Amino acid sequence: MKILRLSLFNLKKNKREAIGIAILTFFTTLMLAIAAANHAKVDKVFDECFAESGSKDYAILFRGDKYRNAFKDVLHDDYGVGTVAEGRMLSAPMIDTYSPDGDTVSYNYTFVTEKTERKLEDFLKRDELPDEEIAELEHPIWLPVNFQIVKDYHLGDDFTIFAGGKEFEFVIAGFYETGLMCSDGWGFKTVISDEDYDTLTGLFTSSTDCEGVLLMFDSTESFDYDEYLEKCSEVAAEDISLNTRKNYVEEEKTNESSFLSIYMLMIVALSMVTFVASLFMIRHKISNDIEDQMQQIGVLEALGYRSREISLAYLYEYVIAGSAGAILGAIVEIITTPALNKGISMMLGRSVQGSSDILSVVLVTVLIIVAVVVFALLKARTVKNYPPVIALRKGIKTHNFSKNFLPLEKSKINVNLALSLKGLFGNLKSCIGIVICIVTAGTALLFSALTFDCFKDGAGGLISMMGIDTDMIFVDVMDNVDTEWAREEILKLPGVRKVLIRHDGDYLSVKGSSEAAVATVFDDFSEAENINPFLGRCPERDNEVMIGRRRSESECIEIGDSILLEHNGIEKKYLVTGIIGSLHNGGSTVYLTSEGYERIVIDAKPRLISVYPEPGVSLTELEETVAAHFGGTAKDAELDLASIEDPDERIKAAAEAKIAILLSQYGVTDVDYAVRIGDRLITGNSRNFVIKEIRSYEGITKTQLVPIGETTRTFTFLALFLIAGIVGVILSIISSSEVRRQRLSLGIMKGLGYSSKDLMTQIAMKFMPVIVLSVIIASVCVVFVNEFFWGALFATVADTSIPVIILVDILLILFCYGVTYLSAGRIKKISVNELMTE
Amino acid sequence: MASFILQTDKLCKSFSNGGTMQHVIKNLDLGIEAGDFTIIMGSSGSGKSTLLYALSGMDKPGMGKVIFDGKEIQDFSNDELAVFRRGNCGFVFQSIYLLENQTVLDNVLTGALIVQKNSTDLVEKAKTLLTKTGLHEEDFKKFPNQLSGGEAQRVGIVRAVINEPKILFADEPTGQLNSSSSKDVLDIFTEVHKNGQSIVMVTHDIKTALRGTRVLYLRDGGIVGDYRMAPYGEDDLKERRAGLTEFLDQMGW
Repeated sequence: MKILRLSLFNLKKNKREAIGIAILTFFTTLMLAIAAANHAKVDKVFDECFAESGSKDYAILFRGDKYRNAFKDVLHDDYGVGTVAEGRMLSAPMIDTYSPDGDTVSYNYTFVTEKTERKLEDFLKRDELPDEEIAELEHPIWLPVNFQIVKDYHLGDDFTIFAGGKEFEFVIAGFYETGLMCSDGWGFKTVISDEDYDTLTGLFTSSTDCEGVLLMFDSTESFDYDEYLEKCSEVAAEDISLNTRKNYVEEEKTNESSFLSIYMLMIVALSMVTFVASLFMIRHKISNDIEDQMQQIGVLEALGYRSREISLAYLYEYVIAGSAGAILGAIVEIITTPALNKGISMMLGRSVQGSSDILSVVLVTVLIIVAVVVFALLKARTVKNYPPVIALRKGIKTHNFSKNFLPLEKSKINVNLALSLKGLFGNLKSCIGIVICIVTAGTALLFSALTFDCFKDGAGGLISMMGIDTDMIFVDVMDNVDTEWAREEILKLPGVRKVLIRHDGDYLSVKGSSEAAVATVFDDFSEAENINPFLGRCPERDNEVMIGRRRSESECIEIGDSILLEHNGIEKKYLVTGIIGSLHNGGSTVYLTSEGYERIVIDAKPRLISVYPEPGVSLTELEETVAAHFGGTAKDAELDLASIEDPDERIKAAAEAKIAILLSQYGVTDVDYAVRIGDRLITGNSRNFVIKEIRSYEGITKTQLVPIGETTRTFTFLALFLIAGIVGVILSIISSSEVRRQRLSLGIMKGLGYSSKDLMTQIAMKFMPVIVLSVIIASVCVVFVNEFFWGALFATVADTSIPVIILVDILLILFCYGVTYLSAGRIKKISVNELMTE
Repeated sequence: MASFILQTDKLCKSFSNGGTMQHVIKNLDLGIEAGDFTIIMGSSGSGKSTLLYALSGMDKPGMGKVIFDGKEIQDFSNDELAVFRRGNCGFVFQSIYLLENQTVLDNVLTGALIVQKNSTDLVEKAKTLLTKTGLHEEDFKKFPNQLSGGEAQRVGIVRAVINEPKILFADEPTGQLNSSSSKDVLDIFTEVHKNGQSIVMVTHDIKTALRGTRVLYLRDGGIVGDYRMAPYGEDDLKERRAGLTEFLDQMGW
C-alpha cells in the first residue's frame, strides 16, 4: 500500500506531466487506431464493391480497327483464361462536364451501352429513378457511385458533356457499382443508350480517344500484359501496344486509394511523433521522480522494500495515465466512425459503412498501453542502480565529482547566458531525449510546413511537380491556317505574354519498356516555364532526351544511357541528358527537342500554339480573347443561336456551328454551303475558321489537383497545429519541471538578487542550444524526408523551399523560447521565504 | 537624531495558518545605524527570521514601512526587490545554500556578476576574500559537497560580501556548524564588521551574540529589549558575557 500511495502521490504531484502523457497517448492511439481500423476497411470495402459489381480482374481495350478475334484465343490458349467478357467501349480522356455547382470540370471517361455493361459486369444499380421516369428520358446516363458519393450529383440532375464543340445533355438515371472503372485513372465508366453511344463515338475521334473492343477476364495465374500484347502483336503482325488501354484490379485499387493511403501514412507518421513524445515524457518524468525522491527510495530500501517493488511504484501512474489516454483514444475512434466513414467514402469514391474494426482498435490500444508500460518499467528499473546508501546520498555513488563546465571566471558573456550554459553542459545526458523529441517533432513540423507551403494556393504545389507547362492554353488551328501568321495574330492580343509553336506530342514506344511515352516537345526548353530537371539538363540536340524520375528508377536508366524510341516502325536512339520529377502521365513522359521529335515522327508538323497569359489574366479570359479574335468557336455559335433574331443570320450561325464540328472532329479541311429559301440563297464557307480547338489544363486542375491540394493543405495545417501543440506541451512540462527541480537553487539566486525575469531567461536560454541544434538537425532531416516522400510515392521532386525551412526554423525556435520562458513563470511563485529557518 | 541606514515604521507581518491569521510582527519600529553589528534574538517562533527577511527586502511586510538607506521598499514588486537587493544587501543563511552544481569560485562569482562586470579584478577580489577566510587556491574549484560545513559557510560569507553591500544580513550563520567552525566563521564576521560593514544577524546563540554591538530582543512580534555593547575585542570578554547574560535573563531567555 505504501508503494501504491507513492505512485498516487507522484500522479497527483505532477498532474501536468500525467495529463501530458495521457494526451499524447490519446493522440497516438486515436491516429494509429484510425489508420489500423480503416486501412483494413478500405481494402475490405473495395474488395466487396468489386465483388458485388461482378467485374472481372483484368480489362484490355483494343482500338476497333486493330482488334482481332484471335486475341481472345491467345487468352484461352496461352493463359488458360475461361470466360472472356467482350463488348465495345469508348474511352475519352479529359472530357469537360458541368459540376453540380455549374463549374466546368474535367475527367477521364469511358462509355458503354447497357447491353455491353450487362456482359461486362452485373450492372448493380445502387440508386436509380423509377422505371417510368427513366422510360421518358431522351438521354439517360448511369454513372458510377463515385459521382453520387464524392461529386454530389443527384438522380434526375442534368449531366452535360462537352463533345465536338457541343454540349450533350444527359439526365442521370441512376448510380451503379462498377469494378475496374470507378476512378479517374482509366476513366469513369458511364452507361448510355445505344444511340448516344453512336453519337459520342462519332465525336470523340482524337488521337487520345479510343473506341474499340473491351475484353474482361479473370486469370488464375499472374497475367503479364506486356507479354500478352507482344503475342497479340505477333498475331496481328503489327505493334498494337500503342492502340490499347489496360487496367486490372490492383491498379484500380491503387488508383482509388492512393491518396487515402498517403494520408494514412501521414497519420501513422504523426502518431509516431506523438508516441516518441509520450515516451520522452515518461522518461523525463521517471528520471525526475527518482531524482526528487532519491532519499525516500533509500528509506524504503532500508526498510526492506526490494528495488523491483519500488520500481512498480513508478509504473502504476503510467498504467493509469497511459491507459486513460489510450482507452479514450480508442473510444473517440469508435465514436467518430460515421464521420470517418464519410471522409473515407469521399476519398475512395465507394460507399463506406459499418462500425469500426473493433479488433484492430483494441489491438492498437493494448499495444500502446503495453509499450508505455514496458518503456516505463525499463526506465523505472534504474531504481536498482541506487542501493540504500547511495540513494540516501542523493545518488552520489563515488567521490568523483562532476567537471566544472564553463567556469564563470573565464566567461565574458552575460551572466544569465553563462549560467544557462553551465546548467546545460553540466547535464548534457538529459538533453538527449529533448534532442530526439524536437528532431522528430521538428522534422514532422517542417515537413508539414513545406507541404502546406507547396499547397498554399490549392493545386500550385502539384502543378509545379507536373513536369509540364500548365499555365497556358493550347490553340489547335485548322490545317489550312498558317501557324506563324496565327502566332503573330495571337501575340498582338491583350493579356498575351508569350506564344510558342510546338508539336502536339504523340505516343512513342520505349524499347524494352512496358510503358509507352507521351512526348513533350519544345524547340528550346529554356522557353518552358515548368520543366526543371532535378538531375542533368533538358535536351538541346536532336539525339537527346530527358525522362521522368519514375521511368529512370523503375527501368534503371541514368544520365548518359541511351534509350530506343519507336513510332510507326521507325526506331531512333536518344541519349538521356536529364531526369525530371514529373506527375504528368504518371511520369512516363519523354522530353524531346522539335528536331529530335521530327527524327522519329517524320511527318510531324508543329501546329500546336501554346499561349501564355500575362500575370493576372486567367486561362478562361485568355481562351475567350483568342476565340473572340478568330471569330469564336462552334460552341459559341451554338450558344448564341437562340439569341439571334434575324432568320438569315440564325441560319448562317447554325451552318457555321456545323462546319466547326466537321472541321474539328471529322478531319474535314474545306466546306462550302448554300441554303436556298425560296428565291433567297444564303451561302458561306469554312475559310473564316481559324481555330480547330482550344484546350487547357484548367479543368483537370480544378477537378483533380485542387481537391487534392486543398485536402492536403487542410491536413498539413491541422498537423502543424498538432505538432506545435506537442512541442509546446513537452517544452512547457520540461521547463516547469526544471523550475520545480531547481526550486532551491532558484530561491538562492533570488536571494542573491536575480529577478524572476533573469531566472526565466536562464531557464529558457538553457534549452536553446539543444533546441537550436535539434531544429538544425530536423532541417537537414526534412530535406531527405521530403525528397523520399515525393520521390517514393510520386516519383517526382518537391520543391524543398529553403526560405520556408529557415522561416519555420526561426518561428519554431522563437516558439520554443517563448514556451520555455513562459512555462518557467512558476519561478515567480518561488519565494525566498522558503530559505527561512523558521 | 541618529542617521539610520535602515528603519521600520509600524511594521507588521502576518501569516495565514489554517485559515487563522497569525500576527508575527506587530507595529514594530526600529532603526539601525550604519556600522552597527545588530543581533536579533528571541525565543523560537518570536519572529526573528521573519523580521530579518522583511528588513532585507527578501519578503514584503503586511503593513508599515521599511526605509532602507532613505528608500521605502515595502511597496516594491518582487523583481524590484530583487534588483534592490543586488547592491544593497548580502545574505548568509543558516543552511548555507551554496549552489550545488557550481564550484566555490563560481558560487561567489554568481553573486557578483549580477552586479558587476566580469573582470580580472573581480576574480582576484573573490580569490582574495576566499583566501582571507582561510580557504586555499585548491579549494576554489571544489564543489559544495566536497567542503566541510565551516568551509561552505565561509564561501557563503564571501558570496554575501563580494558586492560590498550596505548591510550584511545573516540568519543563524553558525546554526549548522560545530564549535570550532563556528568560531572561525564568527571571526570572519567580526573582521568584516571592523572593516566598517553593517551587519544584522539573527541568532539564539550567546557566543554569536557577543560579537555584536547591539542586541535586540524580540517577543510577541515586538522589540522588548535593546542592549548595546562595545565592538568585540575592545572590552573584557567576561564582563561582556556577564552583561549580555544579565540582559537576556531580564528578557526571560
